[in-house]
Amino acid sequence: MTISGKTAIAGIGATEFSKESGRSELRLAAEACLAAIKDAGLSPSDVDGLVTFTADSNSEIAVQRELGIPGLRFFSRVDYGGGAACGTVAHAAMAVASGQADVVVCYRAFNERSGHRFGQASPSSRADSTGLEFSWHLPYGFATPAAWVAMQARRYMHEYGATSEDFGRVAVAMRKHAATNPAAWFHGRPITLEEHQASRWIVDPLHLLDCCQESDGGVAVVVTSLERARDLAQPPAVIEAAAQGTGPDQMMMFGYYTGDLAALPAMGAVGDQLWRRSGLTPADVQTAILYDHFTPFVLVQLEELGFCGRGEARDYIRDGGIELGGRLPVNPNGGQLGEAYIHGMNGIAEGVRQVRGTSVNQVPDVRNVLVTAGTGVPTSGLVLGAAG
Amino acid sequence: MHQKLMELAERLAALGEQPGGECPDPVNTAMIRNWTQALGDPGAWDDAAPPAMIQVWSMPGLSRAKGPSVADDPLRMLNEHGYTGVVATNCEQTYDRYLKIGEALTSRMRFGGIAGPKKTAMGEGYFVTWYQSWYDENDERVAEMLFRILKFQPRQRAGGAKAKPQAGGRYPLRPAIGKDTQFYWDGVDAGELRIQKCADCGALRHPPGPMCPQCHSTERTYAVASGHGTVHSYVVHHHPPVPGRTPPYVVAVVELDEGVRVVGNVNGCPVEDVRVGMPVRLIFERMDDELTLPQWTPEGAPDPAPAPEPAAAPDGRRVELTPTFVIATALATRDFTPVHHDVAIAKAQGSKDIFVNILTTMGLVQRCALDLAPGAVLESIAVRLGAPAYAGDVLTVTGERVDDRTITVRGTVSLGDHVTATVRLKGDA
Repeated sequence: MTISGKTAIAGIGATEFSKESGRSELRLAAEACLAAIKDAGLSPSDVDGLVTFTADSNSEIAVQRELGIPGLRFFSRVDYGGGAACGTVAHAAMAVASGQADVVVCYRAFNERSGHRFGQASPSSRADSTGLEFSWHLPYGFATPAAWVAMQARRYMHEYGATSEDFGRVAVAMRKHAATNPAAWFHGRPITLEEHQASRWIVDPLHLLDCCQESDGGVAVVVTSLERARDLAQPPAVIEAAAQGTGPDQMMMFGYYTGDLAALPAMGAVGDQLWRRSGLTPADVQTAILYDHFTPFVLVQLEELGFCGRGEARDYIRDGGIELGGRLPVNPNGGQLGEAYIHGMNGIAEGVRQVRGTSVNQVPDVRNVLVTAGTGVPTSGLVLGAAG
Repeated sequence: MHQKLMELAERLAALGEQPGGECPDPVNTAMIRNWTQALGDPGAWDDAAPPAMIQVWSMPGLSRAKGPSVADDPLRMLNEHGYTGVVATNCEQTYDRYLKIGEALTSRMRFGGIAGPKKTAMGEGYFVTWYQSWYDENDERVAEMLFRILKFQPRQRAGGAKAKPQAGGRYPLRPAIGKDTQFYWDGVDAGELRIQKCADCGALRHPPGPMCPQCHSTERTYAVASGHGTVHSYVVHHHPPVPGRTPPYVVAVVELDEGVRVVGNVNGCPVEDVRVGMPVRLIFERMDDELTLPQWTPEGAPDPAPAPEPAAAPDGRRVELTPTFVIATALATRDFTPVHHDVAIAKAQGSKDIFVNILTTMGLVQRCALDLAPGAVLESIAVRLGAPAYAGDVLTVTGERVDDRTITVRGTVSLGDHVTATVRLKGDA
């Protein structure tokens, strides 16, 4: 039994991306959901399922009330920070494919820049299982996502000879893409590799320009059956495969204790499932949306997902390899480094646009798009494709 | 505003001493007993009142409205111009003589002056000073007090940035400890780095957990690590600020000779000297009175210098700031300001909780000085006020005898210094 090919993303919606939205997170969620529902040619009364992140502050019933949805038959949350992004679509697709719901909206909305900022150190720790995980690290001032990723990045550099400039090429590519995307925060503001190298240290080996921005905003997508999606307003983006995954000894960004620090086994597990369930290979996707909260993990993902061998990503991305026109354009919207940090949900929306052929930075002849979620944490992924 | 404020200050200072009024009650044993009980003061005050109680005698109490103060007009002007923040900075009491039971007092006030505008940690502000004096039935002065506050323009705090606690406070980055990790931290306190070991199959494991993932046994023991390993990976933290830490600092994954990995700081060498593969050895770093962390230093590096004198010397006195303590001492000093007894009002005014009042702080400083110089007669107490002493915290009071006639006293809470004080003793003591 499989859900592959049975469901589709029929609508996408977003607020503007900013540093200070000036409105409540619930309002951002409601605006993004309504935009997605309208994009699909549906109305809130058609919706009977809502899915969001465990980390989201807007409950499903709060969003239901704002939108005037008469009732929900399916509601669910996905945990582990940005690793939840594609997981919300996976849950929605399972609900639709199994008949638990007909139209499910997945959303994420926050004031991550003007409100609670994830990049700041937080000294709190509780004695639950997550709090105890953090307790092996926080007392050492090892307290921010940039630091946690940098620990793996250093080992990756050591093992494969990758350099800070290799990481910088990812940032340059993303800012180049954002420069021609009017919705991107960094629209019209590309950077050079020299600027990347000159930017200040955040956590050595990561410079400021290795770290994605912080954003306020909301994004939502509408999942329904492929059959129904064919009758709606937009060309369906077929969910060819959806997967979640963890690796051995999985922790929240602390995968240091066993195994290889220069790898992301959870993403490897997700990639294996995506290729197997979709029947596709890396050669079958024309563009990829790779979660880019920090540049080094874009390189590791290319390896885990099979686009190149271990340690080869730095050669793969050289000479514009992941830029528009390159061998695999990555994040044509500019990614989270360039467009906005909406915990990966804006990447799913870009994947849908690429399948529809409506992106401002459209890759030619897109048939299939790979989308990934947060790395270093339990994660998820999607393969989206055009309907035959 | 500045010009007008300074003119007003000059006019007020020229007025000299203004009548304050009679103190509600004569110096009496009941109020002294309330005070010693609430503060936990062991002194035998049978004939004379504790000198640090001086302000208590003129406190108006709950039902009587606070009378006009010589500083009302300038404080109002500062409020109207955006200097709405207020924090007490100094309180200096000079005792001409000790008071006997039964004496009736009157008090008078005079305006001191205004200094500013000054840039301070709180924001731009003006220091406002006034004096209160107490007189006996013969109109002889028995004590004088200087009181100084800072009126400041509250600064917009940058989002998320947190004030770093001052040196000497409680280290803010504390581990949560659970049933499955208690043995590890007990080991740290015992000077050991303990690695969980399955009591059935012998597998080593870090971080520890309740069930052996190899054989599913829940029987656990531990091995004590030899304390030698190599740096498997590391980072140098620069930004953002982390409470309790001074960047740049190194965090490393250390692979122990026993085969498990741990995370810790690498101390004892410049951050740029750290390398993947570098041999390191275990050291223990004392973060504060209660928390020690296993840490790492290059193999061959000398032992680090012993930690700087902790905030509380062994003879420091710990005062548990229970709500009962905070409230009882406020009322025993006849201070009915709501921030010292009503949590909701304290929070509404921007405080974390109710906090110890200044009259009590003066009493605790007095006690510390008399612990160090039993039988001495106090000439004056001058305190600088720092972080609030909130309910739920612990105030540690330590004193040092500087010379025959001088004692310095320091009181610290988790936020840093609550009070630093100089106590002068009379020469004939």
